[in-house]
Amino acid sequence: MSRLYPVLKYGAILGWSAFVVAPFLWALTTSFKTINGVTSGPRYLPWLQYEPSLQGWTSLFGGTGGIDIVQPYMDSIVVTLGASAISIVLGTLAAYGLSRFKYQLGFVKNSDIVFFFVSQRIMPPVVLAIPFFLMLQFLGLLDSALGLIIVYVALLLPIAVWVMVDFFNNVPRQLDEMAMLDGCTPLRGFVLVVLPNSLPGIIVAALFCVIFGWNDFFFAFTLTFTQTQLLPVAIVALNSSVTPWWTLSASALISVTPLVIIAVLVERFLSRGHLAGAIR
Amino acid sequence: MALIADHLTLEVDRVPHLDGLSFTLERGRLHTLIGRTLAGKTTLLRAIAGLERIDRGSLDLDGESFLARPVWERDVAMVYEQFINYPHLSVLDNVAFPLRRRGLSADAARERARTVLERVSLVGFEKRRPSQLSGGQQQRVALARALARGADVLLLDEPLANLDYKLREQMREELRGLFSDQGGSIVLYTTTEPAEAMVLGDVVLVMHEGRMLQMGPPDEVFDRPATTTVAGIVNDPPMNIVDAAIEDGLIRLGGGRSLPLPMHMRGLPPGNYRFGLRANELKLGSTDDAVGTVTFSEVSGSETFIHVDTGFGPLVIQIEGVHRFALDAAVPVAIDQERLFAFDPNDRLVAAP
Amino acid sequence: MALGVEPPAPSSEPGVPLSRTGRRPGQLEGPGTARRYKLYFLLPGLIVLLLIILFPLLFTIRVSFSSWNVSQPGLDWIGGSNYERLFADARYWASLGRLALIAIGTVAIEYVLGFALALLVWREVKGRRFFRVLFLVPMMTTPVIMTVIWRTIFHESLGPANDVMALFGLPAQQWLTSSGAAVVSVMIVEIWQWTPFMVLLLLAGLLSLPREPFLAAAIDGAGPIRTFFRVTFPLMVPISIGAIIIRLIEASKIMDTVYVLTSGGPGTATETSSYYIYIRGLRDFQIGYAASMSFAYLVIMIVSLTFIARGLNRALAGRRA
Repeated sequence: MSRLYPVLKYGAILGWSAFVVAPFLWALTTSFKTINGVTSGPRYLPWLQYEPSLQGWTSLFGGTGGIDIVQPYMDSIVVTLGASAISIVLGTLAAYGLSRFKYQLGFVKNSDIVFFFVSQRIMPPVVLAIPFFLMLQFLGLLDSALGLIIVYVALLLPIAVWVMVDFFNNVPRQLDEMAMLDGCTPLRGFVLVVLPNSLPGIIVAALFCVIFGWNDFFFAFTLTFTQTQLLPVAIVALNSSVTPWWTLSASALISVTPLVIIAVLVERFLSRGHLAGAIR
Repeated sequence: MALIADHLTLEVDRVPHLDGLSFTLERGRLHTLIGRTLAGKTTLLRAIAGLERIDRGSLDLDGESFLARPVWERDVAMVYEQFINYPHLSVLDNVAFPLRRRGLSADAARERARTVLERVSLVGFEKRRPSQLSGGQQQRVALARALARGADVLLLDEPLANLDYKLREQMREELRGLFSDQGGSIVLYTTTEPAEAMVLGDVVLVMHEGRMLQMGPPDEVFDRPATTTVAGIVNDPPMNIVDAAIEDGLIRLGGGRSLPLPMHMRGLPPGNYRFGLRANELKLGSTDDAVGTVTFSEVSGSETFIHVDTGFGPLVIQIEGVHRFALDAAVPVAIDQERLFAFDPNDRLVAAP
Repeated sequence: MALGVEPPAPSSEPGVPLSRTGRRPGQLEGPGTARRYKLYFLLPGLIVLLLIILFPLLFTIRVSFSSWNVSQPGLDWIGGSNYERLFADARYWASLGRLALIAIGTVAIEYVLGFALALLVWREVKGRRFFRVLFLVPMMTTPVIMTVIWRTIFHESLGPANDVMALFGLPAQQWLTSSGAAVVSVMIVEIWQWTPFMVLLLLAGLLSLPREPFLAAAIDGAGPIRTFFRVTFPLMVPISIGAIIIRLIEASKIMDTVYVLTSGGPGTATETSSYYIYIRGLRDFQIGYAASMSFAYLVIMIVSLTFIARGLNRALAGRRA
């Protein structure tokens, strides 16, 4: 039995890995196909089973019968980074306050406030979609990057708070005290002492914000139309039976790659022990 | 310039951690605060620093209320028991940090930091991070940072407690030198060790359960402990206390033993008293003396501590040299009545040798 | 990540700082001046969130009492008639049932799979760092975009899904056009996408477990299975509950996958609550009615999740290590 065990272990790992990787490989291979490669049944190997071509990829940049993927890319970057940055700043400040100070308003105390922030995530997008629509319409911000950024801040701020409160609770309070004794007001102490020692937490919070921001579909879908088009919306718009599979696959792949790369980089950064050194 | 505390009180769930403390700390004097663990020493220091809130009482520095000012506006420097340094800054920048906050330019701050680092013998470590230093070195960085700015009030909370024995002895010497140059500051240094308090301090404050029991020059506190509690705290091992009575011009111990009344007790009226004798002033005597049964014996360094049970109570004897004593062995205990302290039944000192 | 000197404060107690006496929060001294810093930190974020979220929510509640739709835009008051209509709307309740089935089903499977995977890459496996990153990848991708790809995969004749079935000797399925299979397709996509999330949380939990119980078990000669049931699982109960709840919250919002993969179909086979509300609200533009559906949905969700959370806590309280 104990000899079978490693076989089972690696078998399971490889099996799941295959499942994880399969859609990417399928999309990759499909992106190089032409009409024959698609309509004659599922084909997997280039040259052996079908003739590869680059038309899937060239169509992304305004090539034959294609789309322009550059604009949605830019829009996504602007909105995601903008909303994440604002969320991180506001969220980290709020999280620090919640970690260090005692708030009391009637029966509402710290843990309640944290719960309020975090519970925003329970809200299904569809509940907010209509009011957001009307709100942005009222402000004249429909179909604009700014409007989306405002909406996304509401979605990402809770994430930032959730991650950072936990993190700050694990930073020893003596650092704050030392900063105050050395003449820092709480704000200066926060900026000069606590923040530099909180990089791992901020990176994780930023990663989560970017992931959830970049990957949102629903709000972008309901709140933008032509002038601002985020990547997920653009891709889904392609999802009609008119768009060829190769364009579809290529555009999908190019859209998901950045986050995957970022995730890998962050993992290496975090696990190489770039965490702040311990004080004895 | 003086820091004057008046009836400082701090309560947690109705239990006083600081109980009506009143004292005066003066500029240019090294005050040592001695007390057992949990006596409230750290709480007091943190209250002076502003890290704990005072419930009642006042704290004034040169006539101005300290309590009205937030932590960062009080000019207080503190060295913690668990040395804290800023992990993200180099040693030099650590020491320069408070100076920069006071408005010094980066260069001026670094210069001054370098000077102070020299005084704590940390030359050559300027560019390292605190996490790369040993415990003793990290504590010295913390010390340097506290000394660098010549704050009004300098608080040290058992700064040597987390260092090993040899290092502690060495640093104690260095500290004396360092503090003598802190001309302007009010220095308050906490410790649990009587030896340290006596050696370092110009003024010794004895604290117990949130109350100030005695305050004065080391000699006074040592030679004239105000209560049996003080006597227990400022002696290591704690002073032996025996209940006995003065009757017919003699000290009547239990178990039929008596001692002649020493000179310094001649004026005391007969009655019940509590007598104190230091462990190192008890000796092993001759066959005439009271006999004690050994309950425990321990060798520490080059001294032996023997715990004995006598007819009039348990005693701890400290003798030089390394000796072995068997459990339940009978040893004669010689009491020199000239070295006895006398306390009234309320534990207050009434006579001292 | 603890910069340890004192033991870290338990993170379930935000706002209770450490003080040497381990007692109450270290307050900042001084009147007025110091206290305003408290506000500087919390208020910006809190106010922004309140502004952006609270008004829409209150607005939704107000709208649910009106008959706002395409032909009659504007806020009037019709009392609770939207809610009455809701009560009788079988399609709504069916969608809730479907949602419960899909959400609970996928989360349960994700938990089991996620735990197994986390255990697999937990220790002494070659290349575990590589696999750990690999396993996390699906979570990083944009769900809608991957679903677009899945749609090509599940194509009955041109996609690889039925090819794979044939490989295992199983009959071809009408993945997107038959009611039962459509639900399964949605679940497969969800599981692919979100099991990594479980793996992430559970692996983090496993990595933070103390060594001692495992050493003790090894000394006592316990094999891997016994160790799991007697040591690992009980220690992981609190984290498991947290992970399940978090995943359930996210799963109950499912919308993107359904929209792209099946459009709620065939018919209404995969129509979840979010999708139905979307149809009524943003396609038929019956805003008043959709608002009442939304609000009811929110309330039902919060209540159910609270019950589930309590239930889980109680059920596993006995097994907690």
